[in-house]
Amino acid sequence: MNDYITIAIPKGRILEESVALFGKIGIDCQELLSDSRKLIFENPVEKMRYMIVRATDVPTYVEYGSADLGIVGKDTLMEQGKDVYEPLDLKFGYCRMMVAEPANLAKNDDPASWSHIRIATKYPHVAESYFASKGIQVEIIKLYGSIELAPLVGLSERIVDLVSTGETLRQNGLVEVETIADITTRLIVNRASLKTKHKRISEIIQGLEKIL
Amino acid sequence: MTTTTPDISLPRGVSDFLPDAAAKIGYIEAKIRRVFELWGFRRVITPKLEYEDVMAIGLGEELKGKTYRFDDRQTGRLLAFPPDITPQIARIIATRLKAWPLPHRISYSGRVLRQTEIQTGRSREVFQSGVELIGLDSPEADAEMIAMAVEVMQALGFDDFKIDMGQVEFCRGIMAASGLDGKPLEYLREAVARKDTSAVAKVLESNTVSAESKRELTALPRLFGGREVLDEAERVVSNSRSCAALENMRQVLSILDIHGVSDFLTIDLGETRGLDYHTGITFEGFVTGLGEPVCAGGRYDRLTARYGFTAPATGFTFNVLNLLQLLERRPEVEASTTRDFLLFNCCDDRREVLEAARLLRARGYKTARDIIRRDYTDSLDYALRMNIRYLLIIGSEAEEGNYCVVRIRDGRKIRIGRELLEQDGLIKFIEESQGDD
Repeated sequence: MNDYITIAIPKGRILEESVALFGKIGIDCQELLSDSRKLIFENPVEKMRYMIVRATDVPTYVEYGSADLGIVGKDTLMEQGKDVYEPLDLKFGYCRMMVAEPANLAKNDDPASWSHIRIATKYPHVAESYFASKGIQVEIIKLYGSIELAPLVGLSERIVDLVSTGETLRQNGLVEVETIADITTRLIVNRASLKTKHKRISEIIQGLEKIL
Repeated sequence: MTTTTPDISLPRGVSDFLPDAAAKIGYIEAKIRRVFELWGFRRVITPKLEYEDVMAIGLGEELKGKTYRFDDRQTGRLLAFPPDITPQIARIIATRLKAWPLPHRISYSGRVLRQTEIQTGRSREVFQSGVELIGLDSPEADAEMIAMAVEVMQALGFDDFKIDMGQVEFCRGIMAASGLDGKPLEYLREAVARKDTSAVAKVLESNTVSAESKRELTALPRLFGGREVLDEAERVVSNSRSCAALENMRQVLSILDIHGVSDFLTIDLGETRGLDYHTGITFEGFVTGLGEPVCAGGRYDRLTARYGFTAPATGFTFNVLNLLQLLERRPEVEASTTRDFLLFNCCDDRREVLEAARLLRARGYKTARDIIRRDYTDSLDYALRMNIRYLLIIGSEAEEGNYCVVRIRDGRKIRIGRELLEQDGLIKFIEESQGDD
């Protein structure tokens, strides 16, 4: 297996975009899109292997070297802070990590005067370090989904979450008050793999760099 | 009545190493130590406790933050468990050995403790076997470290590994020439450490730097690979500090060519992960299949000065548990967990069996007595379970002076004369015999 390149990819939109992108540099992995329950695909001719994993698990597989490469959102990387190389911005899956609050609270709210606020989020580390860098104490409430609900039922005043079109926010009466970071999809690389398989991995990085 | 089990949990990040694992660790450490000895390094043993303020002199911010500290009841001072052995050796060189002629070739093999993030569950104990070469600033000393690292890797049976070289001054030169400081510099450092070209570009968009600096910084995250990286670096780099670093790396590489280890080398000029005390050539060893390096080290010319004695120095250390993870399934490492003979006595008298044991030990065979009373089948089971290769039966059915050896692997019985215990080739004889059922 050592001469294979293994790539960890999450299901969903990232998978479709990744297959298209790899197709453009001559790496054919169309079979990943087949309606199969297989979690691992091998291409013995190209010596490539693909693993389908949860988005939040991609950095873990790559950090430990179970996968050489991974494709994952910057939001997940920011939250987990794993020690992996992150050589390419793949420039799809664009969205923003932001702080939002109910529109009627936002009317008279001044972010500069925040202190000891309560935040609901899927990204406790990102939220904590963002507010810490501004000197604001926060109480973080970790949720796993439907973050927009939290301010509506009084679980928290504000949320930290991803927004792409802003439609979900609008429909739930929330407005964006601060942007924490712009998020896109990234190619990540295991540290040892970059050294021990540097020729093949450099080819992939350079190939993708040219078409992006 | 039910007995309650006492709480026997261990703190996170430490483990018991049972005999098989401990034997394998011993095997790996012995292989490493042997190479160190062959290159003329002598071992020191450093204390497991130091005063925190003394230890801290030699530590960077990162390791300071990972140090376990507590009160010394006798003096009221803070004590520390060393998180790194190199500063201890720097202290020893600068104080105890300062009157000795240079260079010092020192090795060590021990354990350090480091705080890790709780959820990762990684080991907080790090088994380190390393060397320090103190008193030499020449490229030959840097090359010696890398050549030794390669030799250890080969002695351990690796063929698919890389030693990845960096030069911290190359990076520092580029950073300094940019004129950036504060937050932008911090972002830049993090971006380069991740090889994130888009983040580097972002910092460059929002800050003004010279055209030369811009070219250097943009290229930095991609300056990794084979020898060709040096030519590429020469084309883009103009600041004198980085140019000197490149020249230094070329010198070291030319000596490594003579050592004949060039096939194992890769270069990464954008690597900044070295410890804060590093000042020149640094390197890490990587093996396919393990995400972390198995060895790491580099030049540190200003560390001993912090303890009052200026001397150039370089060194490196192996992470023994990372090596164990890679090697534990290999036959030669598995073999380190076996014992040779279990002695099963069927006589009423124990004189004969103790004499046979003495003879076997004198020949260097690992020999254990089955003192407990149990029958033949149970003894065979015990030997199999405990990784013992042969059962030697003394007495009863055997005629006077003749013993029976059972080869545990296949259960074959081989008759041997008593005199064979005193001769070379006993194992060979047992292994090559047909034997009976």
